[in-house]
Amino acid sequence: MTADAFLFWFLAIVTLVSGLSVILLANPIYSALCLAMTMVGVSALFVTLNAYFIAGVQLIVYAGAVMVLFVMVIMLFDLKKDLQAFTRGILSGALKIASVGLLAGLVVGAIAISTGLLAEKTTDNPVTMGTGMESTKALGNILFSKYIFGFEALGVLLLVIAVGAVALARSKGGTHEQ
Amino acid sequence: MGMGKDIFEITVNGLKLVVIFLMMVQAVPILVWLERRGSAFIQNRLGPNRVGPLGLMQLLADAVKFLTKENFVPDTAKPLLYYAAPVFALIPGAVAFSAIPMSTPIHIDAFEMFGSSWGPYTFLVQGYDIGVGIVFILGVSSLAAYTLLMAGWGSGNKYSLMGALRASAQTISYELALGLSIVGVIMLYGTFNLMDMTMAQQGPLHFAFMGHTVTANWLPNWGIFYQPLAAILFFTTTFAESNRLPFDLAEGESELVAGFHTEYGGFKFNMFFIGEYGHMMIASGLMALFFFGGFGIPYVSVAQVQEWAASATSTATGASALVALVHFLSFFIKFAFFLWVFIWVRWTLPRFRYDQLMDFGWKTLLPWALANTILTAFVIYIASL
Repeated sequence: MTADAFLFWFLAIVTLVSGLSVILLANPIYSALCLAMTMVGVSALFVTLNAYFIAGVQLIVYAGAVMVLFVMVIMLFDLKKDLQAFTRGILSGALKIASVGLLAGLVVGAIAISTGLLAEKTTDNPVTMGTGMESTKALGNILFSKYIFGFEALGVLLLVIAVGAVALARSKGGTHEQ
Repeated sequence: MGMGKDIFEITVNGLKLVVIFLMMVQAVPILVWLERRGSAFIQNRLGPNRVGPLGLMQLLADAVKFLTKENFVPDTAKPLLYYAAPVFALIPGAVAFSAIPMSTPIHIDAFEMFGSSWGPYTFLVQGYDIGVGIVFILGVSSLAAYTLLMAGWGSGNKYSLMGALRASAQTISYELALGLSIVGVIMLYGTFNLMDMTMAQQGPLHFAFMGHTVTANWLPNWGIFYQPLAAILFFTTTFAESNRLPFDLAEGESELVAGFHTEYGGFKFNMFFIGEYGHMMIASGLMALFFFGGFGIPYVSVAQVQEWAASATSTATGASALVALVHFLSFFIKFAFFLWVFIWVRWTLPRFRYDQLMDFGWKTLLPWALANTILTAFVIYIASL
């Protein structure tokens, strides 16, 4: 086994085990910490694919910021009631089956779409440009030309979420005294 | 990437990582001494001066005390998180610090050892050279917030949890301004690589503006002259990132006993301390690198130092090592200066109130960092016309 293959299998196992722990552990705090571990594992997998910039951004955005918010929300709210409500009843059972179906559909869809993707997209794949600034430059170029619509749509979506969060927080009293 | 092509190179690169980590850890007692003596000097008292010359042996006494303390776990604590938190406190600091280039690379000519020939080699005076250096450092140090939450939650103490929540909220808020303040610097140098950034700051101040070349021989080509606002924003946010005064609300003694590390004693507490000083060291190193020419010496170019070293030593390997040593000293002086500023500010400014802290981060630092980014982009575009 080569070093690259060993690294891939090691990271894949770490990522999958921590990903499974997220849904299998009973304590939401440990679940959240395992999700952080999953993010770090995914970031390391990006490094093995030569996508250094994406790996760094994955760490900063997902592992660094979003996950910390996750952990804080879990710590601040008492989840015991919600947990009990969610573990019993027909509705939650139906929801669980529906989410399993959705996940299975996503996995099958992803595999079906992604076959042949590697061979097809080699012309503008930023990873093939190099390891440092070149690949980041290429990434920026295709992000702001070919994928501009999706990029801007995501920006608007995030803006809507931010405005909505502020509006919700203010309607419940806000963080500052008026 | 890669550790090297033969056993000698791999060994040296491995040892280098250990040495850099030990350097970081060993600098902490000296900094603690400096902090205690410095605070005493600022507050017009003496500080520790009884144990050894100038109180220097105080550190050794402290270390012995830390190591011999009783190992204690609170009843309500979660032992796994409680023990894991101090260990994780060391990781982001150590990993990020290793990526900072501290001197010019050392070239070693081919030589004979153990009956076979080795080399030639080139060793960087840094743990590892990563293409996207600064993104890597930001990513790794953003993981530090988990330590605080693990310690705060794992201790099973309300003060700890409050301190951890404050600290992590603060870390997340200031990370935005920190990241944005560097964007201007990245645009200016056009690279993420820390070594390339250092090399871009050599020589006298010179830049191209709309086809003309402007040169000022009396100033070094340092980032501070191009990005003064970014330098101020960056340095301010790093104080918040390392939980130092005036942003140390996480351990506001009068309100929270000691914040997230209330329940920690002995060496476990010491590891949090090392982590905090590790963040200070990364911040000082990056400050020197982004805005003050890294390991470059003002008014003297690397080529001039190489010429001098070649005349002073007989072998090329020796000359290369001497050049690296001279540049390391230059880096170290800048690095030590910023560490001293950290200590200086701690004993000069009072602590913020919590809402002031959040307002300052979100409503002052973030808009200014955004404005700096946009302004830099415009100026770079106009200058390239």
